[in-house]
Amino acid sequence: MVSIRSVPSTPSSLTPNDLPWIIKHNENRCTLCGRCTSVCPVGAIKLNYMRKRMPRIVLSSSERGSSYKTFVGIRQRTDPAHRCIGCGTCSMVCPNEAIAPAPNANDDRFRFHTNQKGEPAKRGGRRNMPGASLLDRMIFNRISMLTDPALDAGRHEFQLNTLLGRILPPEEYLRRKMSGEWIPTTREIFPFIIGSMSFGALSPNMWLGLLQGVAYCNEVLGIPVVMATGEGGCPPWVLKSPFLKYIILQIASGYFGWDEIIRAIPDMQCDPAAIEIKYGQGAKPGDGGLLMWFKVSKLIARLRGVPEGVDLPSPPVHQTLYSIEESVMKMIQSMSMAWNFKVPVYPKISGSTSAKAVLNNLVRNPYASGLLIDGVDGGTGAAYNVSMDAMGHPIASNVRECYLDLCAQGKQNEIPLFAAGGVGKNGNITQNGLALIMLGASGVHIGKYIMQAAAGCLGSERNRCNVCNIGLCPKGITSQNPKLYRRLDPDQVAERVAETFMSIRTEMKKILAPLGRSQSLPIGMSDAMGIEDKDVADKLKIQYVC
Amino acid sequence: MSEVITIKGLDENGRRINSKDYEEMVQQAFASSDKLILETYGQHNVGGRLKNNGKPVDVHVTGPCGQRLGCMGVPGTTITCHGPASDDVGYLNIGADIRVLGDATNGVCNAMADGRVMVRGSIGSRGLTMTKWNPEYQRPELWVLGSVGDTFAEFNCGGVAIVCGIEPKNPKNVLGYRPCVGMVGGWIFYRGETDTSYSRTNVMAILPDDEQWQWLLARLPGYLEAIDRMDVLETLSVRDDWKMLISIPPQERALMFSGPMPMHEFKTNIWNKGFGGGDPLRDLAPGLDRSPIGLIETGELRRRKPFWANREKAAPCAYYCPVHIPTVDRLRLLRDGKSREAYELVLDYTPFPASICGSICPNLCMQHCSRQVIDDSIDVAMLGRHSKDIPAPPVAPSLGKKVAIVGGGPAGMNAAWQLARAGVEAHIFEKDNKLGGKLAQVIPWERLPKAVWETEVDRFLNTENIHVHFGVNMTKDKFVELEKDYDAVVVAVGTHEPRRIPFPGHERVIPALDFLKQGKSDNPPQVGKQVVVIGAGNVGCDVACEAYRLGAQEVTLVDIQKPLAFGNEKKAAEALGAKFKWPVSTKEVTEEGLVDAADELIPAQTVIISIGDVPALNFLPEGVEVMTVGGAAWIKTDDACRTSNAKIFAIGDVERPGLATNALGSGKIAAEAILCDIKGEEWKPYAKDVVSLKNLTPAHYEPDSCPGHTDQDEADRCMSCGTCRDCHLCETICPTSAITRRKLEVGGYEYVSDDEKCIACGFCADTCPCGVWTLQPF
Repeated sequence: MVSIRSVPSTPSSLTPNDLPWIIKHNENRCTLCGRCTSVCPVGAIKLNYMRKRMPRIVLSSSERGSSYKTFVGIRQRTDPAHRCIGCGTCSMVCPNEAIAPAPNANDDRFRFHTNQKGEPAKRGGRRNMPGASLLDRMIFNRISMLTDPALDAGRHEFQLNTLLGRILPPEEYLRRKMSGEWIPTTREIFPFIIGSMSFGALSPNMWLGLLQGVAYCNEVLGIPVVMATGEGGCPPWVLKSPFLKYIILQIASGYFGWDEIIRAIPDMQCDPAAIEIKYGQGAKPGDGGLLMWFKVSKLIARLRGVPEGVDLPSPPVHQTLYSIEESVMKMIQSMSMAWNFKVPVYPKISGSTSAKAVLNNLVRNPYASGLLIDGVDGGTGAAYNVSMDAMGHPIASNVRECYLDLCAQGKQNEIPLFAAGGVGKNGNITQNGLALIMLGASGVHIGKYIMQAAAGCLGSERNRCNVCNIGLCPKGITSQNPKLYRRLDPDQVAERVAETFMSIRTEMKKILAPLGRSQSLPIGMSDAMGIEDKDVADKLKIQYVC
Repeated sequence: MSEVITIKGLDENGRRINSKDYEEMVQQAFASSDKLILETYGQHNVGGRLKNNGKPVDVHVTGPCGQRLGCMGVPGTTITCHGPASDDVGYLNIGADIRVLGDATNGVCNAMADGRVMVRGSIGSRGLTMTKWNPEYQRPELWVLGSVGDTFAEFNCGGVAIVCGIEPKNPKNVLGYRPCVGMVGGWIFYRGETDTSYSRTNVMAILPDDEQWQWLLARLPGYLEAIDRMDVLETLSVRDDWKMLISIPPQERALMFSGPMPMHEFKTNIWNKGFGGGDPLRDLAPGLDRSPIGLIETGELRRRKPFWANREKAAPCAYYCPVHIPTVDRLRLLRDGKSREAYELVLDYTPFPASICGSICPNLCMQHCSRQVIDDSIDVAMLGRHSKDIPAPPVAPSLGKKVAIVGGGPAGMNAAWQLARAGVEAHIFEKDNKLGGKLAQVIPWERLPKAVWETEVDRFLNTENIHVHFGVNMTKDKFVELEKDYDAVVVAVGTHEPRRIPFPGHERVIPALDFLKQGKSDNPPQVGKQVVVIGAGNVGCDVACEAYRLGAQEVTLVDIQKPLAFGNEKKAAEALGAKFKWPVSTKEVTEEGLVDAADELIPAQTVIISIGDVPALNFLPEGVEVMTVGGAAWIKTDDACRTSNAKIFAIGDVERPGLATNALGSGKIAAEAILCDIKGEEWKPYAKDVVSLKNLTPAHYEPDSCPGHTDQDEADRCMSCGTCRDCHLCETICPTSAITRRKLEVGGYEYVSDDEKCIACGFCADTCPCGVWTLQPF
């Protein structure tokens, strides 16, 4: 038995220097106002009383002994459950710049202890790969220097939108038009789409703030932005609102919220933008949603049609689908039929070497409206670290191979490919998106970027914060606790969404104008792009530049 | 006054002179005249660059005009184009007055920095673009009588345009499509309809103020005279017809939300209406408040709440003590100067604070004392000894009940003590002729001083309601009678049947129990010089000590496993020279001594076996359930020490072997359960959790280099785990002054945190020396 006066040591006993984030507290500046400990989302810090011994040792004097001085400081806990997550909210509330977390530059030993109680580490966020991404390294090098009509990004008008839905070849279109046959629906949308994040993964203020911003983009700015719901349904009032047309409803393996959607169909003022069938997610390929009980509030439970406070894992796969053919047949048909074949229906899959097989099935399916491929750098609100870090396929070559495959069949203009996964992970949203478009995507889905831009998500690929999965989001983005999500003002989120898309629109023009491109998106315009990496250039069939 | 020189654009052969040669001809003529008539034939860049040192120069362009009329025009030059002009009139003009008496095409005033361009007709697209204004000079002006084409005034940086809307090319849109993109300075007066497609992030629409209107009115005649259209002066002098676009200063633009509609307006007019005029979640979550809050909140918006959990948790001393003696309270009373109450308090829990706490108990309280993280545990044993001479407080009024207690050992005595003090007649039936069970019969007087013991037994016996019947050999029949005559029967007979092992020669072996009892009697037994004790537990150590006292010179304790002896008993035996030997498995005991499994002899004249005792339960009536452990029967009880017969309780070793203090504890539990039965109340087990050491704040205390030995020293040293010390530190540290101390009407005090001030920083809990403040999520 370890005696009380001794210090116990366990295999998981760590020091602050073993943790991923080290709290730097400057006692000289601290006013002990209590705000940092009040706000810390995980209770990582506390007021610590420490005792200093000051020996009185004077060789020539007989008066000896020790005196003691008590001093205080804000110190971090070192047990794995209360480790600092580096969010820096303490720093945000400190009136004196006395406290801040610093990344551990040396030796993070905590990573070996994230499996307490045998449960492997889970987190929100995405693959922790800091530094420039492949997309960041692509440059647009075909500049119209007096060789093409000079375009002015500020003055000329640009057709920046893309089409979601199956586009028939002209002769087939005319034939059907004349014979009065069914023509697949297409939607003209902005090519940067807010990717599926569920009402549940996101807080009500975040989700509705995003939608409000999307509505603003459409109705005030004239930018036809759409957003996908994720798997968690949609509030009935939203389903019955005129804003439904800006929403891509997602159906996934958990089928959450679909009872409310089906109930609302007769009352819908307009059709949804599209239906997304989720088969996979780039952040956690082969794994389903992991909404845990602490995020299943009364509201979320009501929306999803489940009891309050239960775990809501979605199965990794759709339980009644056994093959691609069947998936494509059954799901796309059922979903198309719900809105009388007037709403585009497309599947979302994880980036994978098998993406081309899926695509080829879709090409043959008359009702398939596109394919969304979500690459390995995609984000999520909750996944096992191993799924997030080790599973998946980078988006660039995946979407490129699919596009070239369509080209080989002469179908590249018929079935749009959408790409996702790490778009804008270092802030280069437009550059990343247009790089993917030039590799062959008709548009891109953005998730984490919009959380960072529109709501101030603190998460990073250095594993800052990333606690979306436990409902403690300090910004209120991924929490279902009103005490946290009320920190987020939906109006401000909406404003930031508007600002973000206005800015993307301008940046797109700044890229397209020098390319001399204004009448249509440069989908597959790979001759305009280069990279200073021979292997990548060869693989993607773009120019090698140096 | 010089002569007018005319320069023809065609040579004598009727061929067009190229612009380079024509410019040389113009410059040559300019050297001798400041009045030039240029009969141009499409020559570009004419009329500018006439370096006149400010003197007036009059240039008339009469032929078909080329591009860039008045290019790089200088101040003093007046250029009059008598017909329409081609692109880029006034290109890079820095001061010339340029009059175009017809229309002009695209790019009028491009990059012009000073001077005027006055057009009698309309102009094409991209007029007034890149126009500059150097504040050292005049603003450039563009006057257009008709209308302007698309993309007007792009990147205008200070130029002024006046678009009069007289006979415009496009009456629906005098300013063209999307004017003012990138415009950062200057302003535009205009008259007539527009498509309002101007760049809203660059300019704003205003009506001319007085100053601006005066500016326009003062200059209009000059312009109209120059183009010879004074006829429209009256038409143009109607203030209400004029509007303006004026550039937004960057400072102001930075303040604008860059969206063209404020979000609150969008929310009211578009967003909320989309949901039938209400919150989109009102059906799912009626009344849900989603309004914004900050990061630091008070009241119900905090995620945690402090709670003054005074006495909600037990100090380790009380928690680990089987009798749960609240030593923290004893020391608090001492700090308050109430030493009598302090020493009396312990008698509520045990009749033997000096004999057991102060002498033979291994003091689990001290083993777990939190103070050890600073220096040493509180000397609780000493506190116990200080209660030796405290008289028993008066007993409670009689409840008219009586309880029989079989066995007068520590368990039975505490049961009797508790019952008697609560007003119940307690009858002890003891087989021996003295009280105390093994304490009195077996434990050597070295460890339990006789004087201490006798004092406390006297106090016990002098307590009202306690009746002791000595020499009672309990039988089944007697027990049935007790059960009938008493309200409850408590079995506390202990273990007085020594365990034995039937190896050859076992009859030579003396059971430890008998040996110790005899040793303490008036006829102590003889022992050999060499003694072997089989079984090296604490009782074995007592045996060894007793053997030395009775004359042994060499005592060996053997065991088949690592000896379990610990603490004072072991130290005492070792101090006397006892040797421990293990593993030793006894094969037989002969006259020479003990022979082990390897046939080695440990010489001994006396061999004592000390491997435990078991209960003797032959009096127990049928129906009281027992369980067999280690070959002996023990009475089965529940948490309240109640047997399967609700009226019969079993306490002490007979239930489960343990320390004397365990016996005291079970005696107290049984007494409380019986009292609950009597009063018709529900008995509840001790349910307090122990204070976690992590919740205490040891840094408030200084280590004591020579730990105190007086009771007052201990009172000061006590960390008061789980019980408020009334130190006011929480009140002091609270950054929002939320915590106050409040006197209670019923006496005492409490600390409370004001919800409306508290931000839930947790400083109170982090500061509290006693671990009283806790923060609970809510």
